[in-house]
Amino acid sequence: MKNAIHYINQFFAGIGGEEMASYEPEIREGLLGPSLALNALLDAEVTHTIICGDNFMGSNTEEAVDKILEFLEDKDFDILIAGPAFQAGRYGFACGTIAKAVKEKFGVPALTSMNEENPGAEMFKKDVIIFKGGKSAAKLRSDVKVMADYANKLLKGEKTLSAQEEGFFERGIRAQVWLESGETAAQRGVSMLIKKLAGEEFTSELPIPKQDLVAIAPPIKDLSKAKIALATTGGIVPIDNPDRIQSASATRWGRYDISKMDRLEAGIFKTIHAGFDPGAADADPNVVMPLDVMKQYLKEGKIGALHDYFYSTVGTGTTQAEAARMGKEIVSKLKEDKVDGVILTAT
Amino acid sequence: MKLEIGKFIVKDVKFGEKTFYENGILTINKEEAIKFIKEDEHIIDVDLVIAKPGENTRIVPVKEAVEPRIRPDGRAVFPGVTGELSMAGEGRLHALKGISVLGVGMHWGSFGDGLIDMAGKGAKYTLYSQLINVCIVADTDELEERYEQQKKNTAIRMASHRFAEYLGQTVKELEPEEMETFKLDPITKRSEEVNKLPSVVLVMQPQSQMEELGYNDCIYGWDMNKYLPSFMNPNEVLDGAMISGSFMPASSKWSTYDFQNFPTIRELYKEHGNSLNFLGVIMSNLNVTLEQKTRSSIFVAQMAKSLGADGAIVTEEGYGNPDTDYILCLAALEDVGVKTVGISNECTGRDGASQPLVTLDIKANALVSTGNVSEIIKLPPADKVIGELEALARDGLSGGWPYDEILGSSVKEDGSIIMENNAMFCGDMIAGWSTKTMKEF
Repeated sequence: MKNAIHYINQFFAGIGGEEMASYEPEIREGLLGPSLALNALLDAEVTHTIICGDNFMGSNTEEAVDKILEFLEDKDFDILIAGPAFQAGRYGFACGTIAKAVKEKFGVPALTSMNEENPGAEMFKKDVIIFKGGKSAAKLRSDVKVMADYANKLLKGEKTLSAQEEGFFERGIRAQVWLESGETAAQRGVSMLIKKLAGEEFTSELPIPKQDLVAIAPPIKDLSKAKIALATTGGIVPIDNPDRIQSASATRWGRYDISKMDRLEAGIFKTIHAGFDPGAADADPNVVMPLDVMKQYLKEGKIGALHDYFYSTVGTGTTQAEAARMGKEIVSKLKEDKVDGVILTAT
Repeated sequence: MKLEIGKFIVKDVKFGEKTFYENGILTINKEEAIKFIKEDEHIIDVDLVIAKPGENTRIVPVKEAVEPRIRPDGRAVFPGVTGELSMAGEGRLHALKGISVLGVGMHWGSFGDGLIDMAGKGAKYTLYSQLINVCIVADTDELEERYEQQKKNTAIRMASHRFAEYLGQTVKELEPEEMETFKLDPITKRSEEVNKLPSVVLVMQPQSQMEELGYNDCIYGWDMNKYLPSFMNPNEVLDGAMISGSFMPASSKWSTYDFQNFPTIRELYKEHGNSLNFLGVIMSNLNVTLEQKTRSSIFVAQMAKSLGADGAIVTEEGYGNPDTDYILCLAALEDVGVKTVGISNECTGRDGASQPLVTLDIKANALVSTGNVSEIIKLPPADKVIGELEALARDGLSGGWPYDEILGSSVKEDGSIIMENNAMFCGDMIAGWSTKTMKEF
């Protein structure tokens, strides 16, 4: 038999309403309130229930999380379930906070449920699985059942379905699925077009997500005093590719000392980028990583200084997430070295 | 334009005394066939191997797939490629169905090459596990590109087209078991009933992004890097006017077999006269610079508008950079009032959490997704390998790697493999076969 832990607030624990919302975290063996329903539906034993006042969690989040994680240190459990929190905003925040913390600390699945109007849903839906729950406690039993059904699949290692089919908020994680209907892309495309032309409803298989735009930085006021660095996604590296940066779908980047050279020589540098014809870049790496021109600008006093290193990775097939991670890592180095501006060259 | 495809349903392929087709059995005289393939002096070593569905066989590096066909009237199956230029799309064609000729490297792979598993859990990742594959396993004297990641693979690809026509000869004089007819009346000569239906075009964006010629898809033998969008009859596509190139990562590729059988064209034909008026194909391309991409999107939008299209399906042979051509074209069509649906795969990362296409536009509000190039696939060893397994790790195939600090090499000592979906041969079946989609989890 597997073990589960349930998190609820002071109200559902029967301790009290608003007047008891500052109730400090507590762990109890066994069941109370909604845990009874959960335990009945779960193919696991709910061994403990954690209770915390919603205000306490809201005002003393760090302390509350630390305490609760400490409660769990010596417990043997396979899953944490929080809520359901319905439309209660502070309870939703608490469920999301605890589910996320427990999942990250103990590596066990953590589920919760709340109504789509609960601000906690937007806040935590990318971090943990949050089922789309009812507005009020009238839906307690059905909300608990949905979580329990999914938890049972996880505990048994059974196949789980998509967010839409299971009923949880989409997390922005997409995966390949073979349609049981056997409907081909050609059939889906043509029927989607027929619907669109007829003004009927259709469902895009690739909804365009909200754009994640980075604000444009303010301009450098005086370039002649600025320290400029060079970076590229064009895969320019020393000929032996010392950091073994991949030719496509890169997860690694490198930085290379250029302080003692006026240009990148062919045969000493090359490109490892697999997404374009490397001929021109191998013959003259400066066409992708324009060190020659920058050194010229330096001599002319156009720029104040050129950073001693250039940074390089490969852009082809590289995912947005990996690119963002590498970008952040590189930026932290550039900041350490007090770089004022960066020229990022592509291919 | 009227194209009749006479079908011969192949139940089995074997080697024998002579090359002929009878009662669903294709028999090949291996010695003669090899001699024919070796007529190209660039092929320095070649073997022919038959791979059948259900066999525990892995084929890699696969460069091309072609359906064996013949034109009984003597015209070339691939005009401008295997013979003289003549207009495709009209007349009669004989096709051996259920089989394909595969061009496979005996040793060397390249960026756009792929892998096929004929059985087991790897089989579902590609259509070609369902066909009987006659594999040309060849080595060539193309030394200048032997150690290049990007290869033109000219000799092996051309051998595949020539040999497909060679096998087609077996049914040249025979009476087909089934006939399929593809007929479109000229646009201005259609009946009132057809004319009152919503008019649609199919916009195809074949791979043409290599500025050095020889890597790209060809139209009537012409490299599509030097090309601007044109209007075509869909029959031309089905009838050998297009051949596949050698650049795009395998899972995003349209093989020549895909062009010959293009499911999205066939589906539009099915609806033609019923729910749609299928005007034809706007054959576009994929480009390098933004100016080129924009220019092509202008050509496409203008043609669709002038043809009176109400709707368009846009489909791209590729992912990554080509997504910009794809999204630009969808938006350009919407801007001139043509309602669009897009069909492509996506690159959502190994964890499925990245932006699916390189560029996005809210105008592209009706998209079909056929898979994620970056999904990791692990497969057990196969009993038999056709080609060279090490190529997956060694030769820079888009979904393989020689080294990774966590995952190790793509090819393990026991013959098991770990790869990205990227290297599955035509794996995302963007031509329209794909029963795969993407869902949120």
